[in-house]
Amino acid sequence: MDRRRQTGQAGEDLAVDYLRRLGWRIVERNWRFSRVGEIDIVAVESAEERQTLVFCEVKARAGTGFGEPLEAITHVKLQRLHRLACLWMATHEMGYDKVRIDAIGVLSPPGAQATITHVKAVRL
Amino acid sequence: MSAVSGIAQAQSVALLGVDATVVDIEAWTGSGLPRTTMVGLPDAALTQAKERCRAAVLSAGYAWPAQVLTINLTPASLPKTGSHYDLGIAAAVLATQGVLAASSLRGIILLGELGLDGVVHPVRGVLTALLGARRRGAEQAVVPTSQLREARLVEGMTVRGVNTLTDVVAVLRGGDGVTPPPVVVTGDATAAGPDLADVVGLTAARWAVEVAAAGRHHLCLHGPPGVGKTLLASCLPGILPALCPSEALEVAALHSLADASIEALPVRPPFSAPHHTASLASLIGGGARIARPGAISWAHRGVLFLDEAPEFSGQALEALRIPLESGEVILGRSESTIRYPARFQLVLAANPCPCGLASTPQSTCTCTPMAIRRYATRLSGPILDRVDIQTQVLPLKQSLLTGLGGEPERSEVVAHRVGQARSRQAHRLSATPWSTNAEVPGAHLRKRLPVPLGMEAVDHAVAAGLLTARGVDKVIRVAWTVADLAGADRPTSDHVFAALALRQGQSR
Repeated sequence: MDRRRQTGQAGEDLAVDYLRRLGWRIVERNWRFSRVGEIDIVAVESAEERQTLVFCEVKARAGTGFGEPLEAITHVKLQRLHRLACLWMATHEMGYDKVRIDAIGVLSPPGAQATITHVKAVRL
Repeated sequence: MSAVSGIAQAQSVALLGVDATVVDIEAWTGSGLPRTTMVGLPDAALTQAKERCRAAVLSAGYAWPAQVLTINLTPASLPKTGSHYDLGIAAAVLATQGVLAASSLRGIILLGELGLDGVVHPVRGVLTALLGARRRGAEQAVVPTSQLREARLVEGMTVRGVNTLTDVVAVLRGGDGVTPPPVVVTGDATAAGPDLADVVGLTAARWAVEVAAAGRHHLCLHGPPGVGKTLLASCLPGILPALCPSEALEVAALHSLADASIEALPVRPPFSAPHHTASLASLIGGGARIARPGAISWAHRGVLFLDEAPEFSGQALEALRIPLESGEVILGRSESTIRYPARFQLVLAANPCPCGLASTPQSTCTCTPMAIRRYATRLSGPILDRVDIQTQVLPLKQSLLTGLGGEPERSEVVAHRVGQARSRQAHRLSATPWSTNAEVPGAHLRKRLPVPLGMEAVDHAVAAGLLTARGVDKVIRVAWTVADLAGADRPTSDHVFAALALRQGQSR
């Protein structure tokens, strides 16, 4: 496994830990639909007895030399995520009140505390 | 990283022609995927400002917000153009990031373009922008160091210079700014084109130019090619009174719109001599979307010289009519209506016919009578109507070239007489809105000022059909200037004759 994939995998693990601490239920990780792509995290947020299905895109970086992690989430990526979300909903049992797409940026410099930036409702 | 949301505001100036409006640059950051948008009617160059600013901020070692960043320029309805907003945008963004205190930006006009490496580049119109901002109560400004001298021409304004974005941060934190290396300013008081001493002979024409200068009369020089019409005309700025400080500021403000930097206030009146192929837009000002000043505005408070005037397009010449009356030009374009000052003294030079030799003694004109007539009508009535002095410049006699005419007077000597005549006029017209004889309307001439003595010659000319009612006004106007030059309190018959002589060859 090369260093970039390590960073990505570790970032997703950190994001999952972070969401669990928020009290979210992780439904699925790395759900792939043939050639369309992959959803990093599918989770459910429960608040005030309402269930929100959240599709999360995680972007992890080891440093800001190439910019902030969230800057790498482009319009094209969001469009693909939107399509994947629709496909996921078409192939799964649904019983949720709302649906949302979030972006999570993980900045984990080697040997230092990782920083997580969570931006809600980037699309939909 | 927490999503800091903040607002900061910096000030800059929007220029529409010579009219300046203080613009607030607001920067707002909020949560969302990182994205920078710019609103408030920016043009293409200004929309690209965010890319320049971002690179400059990063080069200077600061962070660009990784959030939603909205930059707004208010008043949003005003079209904005140019690259001088960069400093204000960068400063407002840095303030949202806590690099600068938001309060440190209050009341400081920021002007300057940023390079990708964070270097501040000079921009056009600094003087014009700061003059406008000062009138609107601004007291502090930050400009590129190379334009510090230009900016300091504005009175009552504390200006500091910057070379880089790092300097901007230092200045806004209370620093003194960068001082430019001193330069030796060379006085241009005497460097005002050719001297009248270079003009050999042409006694009558020299005198016509002197009278024109003294009364600020528009002038038309007729004559065959090569007699020195162009030389005479270019001597005019040298004998006109020097610009007073407020006029010099007006002239410098206009020139600041074209040149990147101005070192000192101009002393001599400007001289603008567009070629006769000049387009309408280059002559009166123009251009798409937002009009730029033309030759008549470069001649503001100075001389507009149209050499070979009949060769100018009819449209271009007619376009001069309104500026000649109002002293300004108003240019309407899709996005704005712009006013440029254009109070100039018009000097026309014309050949009498296409070959140039008609009505010159001892020469043979090869043009047909029809061609001569057609050539003469190129300068239309309405334009010539505004020209008080029309004079023939006749070719030299051999004797004058060999020095028998005596040493010609130098510009300095003539300028002194012109200055005295001007102060007589200013004194006499002190209770009126005018300051020179050429501006005085006919009614005031005839009713409020004493009638010149010896008007019989004028009556004869009218009776003979050589002079119209409007022509009479012009003769009286010029007679007053001649009297002013002679130091007389009221024009006498000599002065009236002289004024009539200055209209020779004209039948209206």
